[in-house]
Order: sequence, then structure tokens, then C-alpha cells
Amino acid sequence: MEKMMRITTSRMRNTGKWKKLCVVPTALLFLCAGLAPCGARGYAFNYIVADMRQPVSVSGGSACPVPAHFLTSAASINRRWSTALNTNPVSVLTVDQTAAGRLNEIEAVIQSSFATWAGVSGASLTGSSLGPLGRSGAQNACAADGVNSICFDQSDAAFTPGVLAFTRVMVADRIGETLGAATSSEVGQILDADIELNPGDPQATFATPAALPNAPSAYDLESILTHELGHFLGFSHSAVWPAMMYPFAPSPGTFTGDRPTSQAPDAPLSNDDRTGLRALYPDPSDTVNVGTISGRILAANPLSLPSAPAGVTGLFGAYVVAMDANSGEVLAGVLGGWTCSGAGPAQFDGGFRLTHLPVGTGRSYKIYAEPLNGTVDPSQVSNATATLCRNALTDPGWPAPSACVVPGVTTNLMARVRPGP
Amino acid sequence: MREMREHFRKLRGGTIFSSLRVVLLWVLFALLWSAGTTDGTTFRRLSLGELATAAEAVVRVRCLSRESRWEGGEIWTLTQFEVVENLKGNVPRLLAVRTLGGRVGHVQSFVEGAPAFRAGEEVFLFLVSRRPDSFGVLGWAQGTFRIRADASTGGERVTQDSAGLAAANPNAGKLPRKGIRNLPVEEFRRKVAEAAELSGRP
Repeated sequence: MEKMMRITTSRMRNTGKWKKLCVVPTALLFLCAGLAPCGARGYAFNYIVADMRQPVSVSGGSACPVPAHFLTSAASINRRWSTALNTNPVSVLTVDQTAAGRLNEIEAVIQSSFATWAGVSGASLTGSSLGPLGRSGAQNACAADGVNSICFDQSDAAFTPGVLAFTRVMVADRIGETLGAATSSEVGQILDADIELNPGDPQATFATPAALPNAPSAYDLESILTHELGHFLGFSHSAVWPAMMYPFAPSPGTFTGDRPTSQAPDAPLSNDDRTGLRALYPDPSDTVNVGTISGRILAANPLSLPSAPAGVTGLFGAYVVAMDANSGEVLAGVLGGWTCSGAGPAQFDGGFRLTHLPVGTGRSYKIYAEPLNGTVDPSQVSNATATLCRNALTDPGWPAPSACVVPGVTTNLMARVRPGP
Repeated sequence: MREMREHFRKLRGGTIFSSLRVVLLWVLFALLWSAGTTDGTTFRRLSLGELATAAEAVVRVRCLSRESRWEGGEIWTLTQFEVVENLKGNVPRLLAVRTLGGRVGHVQSFVEGAPAFRAGEEVFLFLVSRRPDSFGVLGWAQGTFRIRADASTGGERVTQDSAGLAAANPNAGKLPRKGIRNLPVEEFRRKVAEAAELSGRP
């Protein structure tokens, strides 16, 4: 059954400088139904709901979904990498063939990849948030031990052909949860994030940027690590191409975006990546990326909304994307359909909120919404939707006022715009 | 409001149709661009033939239940399935699939690209045996094909979990390649059978 979608209150929030900066809000909804390739979804996060069965001092008192994140105070993100490398065959190609030089060359790539994310302006995550990069001689250093690790030669039963690398992120749903060396002081805090590169796939060879020009069949180690570090920091996948968080990297012998430089350390990233980082790690002193577009996605015929679960008043699961009106570049996109405030839980009222958009003279945006029947299968965003709610079925003894049920995503709709007041 | 109305009037008259023309051009590009072997940060793209050849079993299964637990210092989710249809390999009627990630106690483990399943849903899976008690999904999201009813034909179609396309970015020089989406289930079966037969030849 097709539904009509309308954005009822799309607006740019006046942040004090809005009018002065002459930003023209442009609400434009592209009609995407039936045009699968016009789709995009921007940055996405992995959410977790606090355990509301705990005392407020432990749960934080809100059932609102919280994105997985690190603390960003000085040196709060510990880091190490395993210097154990696969030698038969060599899985990481370097120019320097000496033992020490090889490790130094790989370590420089790791540092550069971290610096790419830490170099984004307008985010509280900076270079000072990162602890010193340590080394471990242990082959299996990637474990749930509260130490964030990168491993190049760890045999893991999870690897199969076709999986080049993965990042496993462990997140606490209560304050005071301990995992090895880490203890959470916030709900949603990442306690351990490990990156593993597949050492056992003969078709998966990685090369440092220096070695890549002479290794056309190898994967660019810097692109791989920068993408995985996005997961490490709390990102899910983005369908914006060529965002760093797009799930498929460049072909062997090539790399994503531009190489980082001292002037532009975040050059490999797209603006979708940058906006996502600012949303995940907001910097209160940022005065540039302060634009917000919010609204609701409603069914023209409320009777077409699902009767179960109760309380659904808007469409859930459409992607709302903000494009730069001049360049057509996707700056941000969110999975719309819910809001949450106060003690929560999430309300499935069709709400969306695009935040941390850059403002300035000549800046204007087009927004469009699309159903998940196009480019993105609902299963691909299950991490971002399945964890929005908890209830007595998922967690025995869950308090009813904090319970909700994630509705099915709306996958078939037509869209029209109703301008806000 | 008048400015807004005027703005939308202009959009209706021009910009939106220009945008749609651009989109349609990209659609054409996308259709012309053959699915191939683009490789990925997390994934190295596997073609359907590669999947069918490398998989020890290819099955249509119905999800019965799932449970997450700590094992070997990791959180794994063990999903129980009932085999509905067997396209390749010999597997028991009831089998378990092990994937990384899940929630145990107060810790949630997120692993992008690891497929998750809901009780009652049916999927095609390309399986590899990793442990005596369970299978792994070959290529994770790449070896997972969701089944959808096609309202227009009454038939079924399958879409690969990893088959998402990118935005039609007018500034980009090309579109990325894609996986399998909305393939009629009969064609999917035929392609898998062909690949499996080829891989079985000496």
C-alpha cells in the first residue's frame, strides 16, 4: 500500500546567526518512489538504550537511544597495535623492508588514519583525545579487554573469504560497567573497539601509500584503516558515495578521497563523514556547523499507519538527506521516523533532525526523503533500528513507562512537501 | 510564505525536473554498468558465481530463534534455522549460524556487516562450516539474500544484504558497482545451480 509522505515542519533552526548569514532554507522533496538509484543514506550511528531497570545513578534516567561513542577528554582513547604480521604470504606491503622500518611505515599509516578523523574541525574529538599509540607483540591482541587494538595477523573464526577487515565495538548500557581495563562513566560509552584485518585471504593484500603505486593488486591500507576507524569511533555504514563510510572501498591500487596533508589532514573524508563526526562528537564552541533542519514524515492517511505497535503517529524508516543546493553534494542524511526527549522512550512520530550543517553566505540546502525500498534494504540498517527500543519481551522486568517497540520500516511511499509555517 | 510558494513554483517548473533528468541519467548509467568485482574496505566483493562456488551449502532457511553469548572473549549470536530448501550441499534440517555481535548483560557488541535475523523471516544463505556445531555465512552480508514478495507479479525476489547503491552524486565521475537486488527467485535458483554445477566439474 502506498503512502503519501509529507514533511510538515521542515525548517532551519535560527541559531542566532542564521538570518545574518543569509542562508536560504530550501525544502525540496525529490520523488524517489520507483527510482531506486536516486537513493542515498548518509552517516549512521549504532544506538543503545540504557538499562532502565537500574537505579537512575546507573541508568542515567533516560530511555532515549544513545549513539555509541568514546569520551573525548585528554588521552581518553587508548590505542595500541599488534606488531605481529603475517609473513607467509606477506599481507602488508611496505617500501621499507627492514624489520624496524616496516613497523615504522605501518605505524605511520595508523597515525595518519587516526589524524584524519581527529583533524575534522568543529568536533570535540581531536588529537588530544587520543592516547599514545602503543605496540604489542601479541598476535591476538584484539580482545575484549578494554584496550582498543588493531591487529593484522589475528586468526579469527569470524573471517570468511570476502571479508577484508572488520571492527568490533563493545558498548555499555549502564554507568559503571567494566570490561577489562575500561569502565563506563556514561551510557553508550565504547569500552573496547578492535580492528582486525584478514590475514588468511590470499586475495587480501594491503599496501601502505608508499608501496601502493607498485602494488596494483593490493588494497590501500590507509583507506581500509580510515574506514574501520570510522566504525571504531561509532559510525555505522553510509550509502553516500564516495563517503569514507561507504561499505565498499576503492578497487585495489586506488584509494578513497585525497591523501591527507598537514594542511588538510581530513582530506580523505567526505562532508557526510565530517557532518557525522560533528553530530557524534559535538564541539560546543563550533560556530560554523550550527545549522539544523528538522521535521516530521507523516502519512497523508493516518489509517495507513501500522496498527501495531501502538503509538506510531508517523512514518518510520525513511532516509532524509540534506544536499548542498549549489553543488548537489550530500552533506548529511539521517534515518528519520523517531524522536526522543527527556526520560524517553523513543517516539515513532515520523520525526527527523539533521544537525551540524555548515552555515554561511550563499549556503542553502535541498532535502529529500526516500523509502528503504530503494537503495537500502531495511536489513542493512538493522543495527541502527533494532536497538532503539527495549521492552519486557527483550528484557524481563523492563519498566513499562520506558518500553517501546520498533515498528516495521515503511518501504513503500510517495512523497510530497507541505511547507512549514 | 509568498516567497516560499514562489520558490516551490519555480522548483516545480524547472529545478526538480532537471534534477530528475540527472537522476534518470544516473539510473541509465547504473543499468549499463555491469555488476562485477568491485572490492571493499570491509568486503572484497564476491560475485554470485564465486559465492556459489565457495559455499559449502546454499540454503533457504526460516529463522527460528537467536541467542547471544560470550565465547572465547567475544560476543557471538547463534541463530537457529529450519532449512526450507537446499540448493547446494548436505545440511541437517535444523542448523545453527554463528555471527559476531549481539548483546549480553550490559554490553552490546556492534559489528557492521554481520547479518542479523528476525524470528520467522526466510532468507537464502551461503554457508561455510567454521565449527562443528554451527555454520558461518560466507562473506557475511554478501552471502545473505533477503526474500521479498513482489506485489506486482505475486512472485518472490531476492536482494543481497550488501547490495546498497550510493547516492547519485552529480559531481562524481562514476557510479560504484552494485550487488544483486530484486532478482526473481527462480533466476536466483538457476544462477546458483549453474555456478554450483560448474564448481563440481573436474
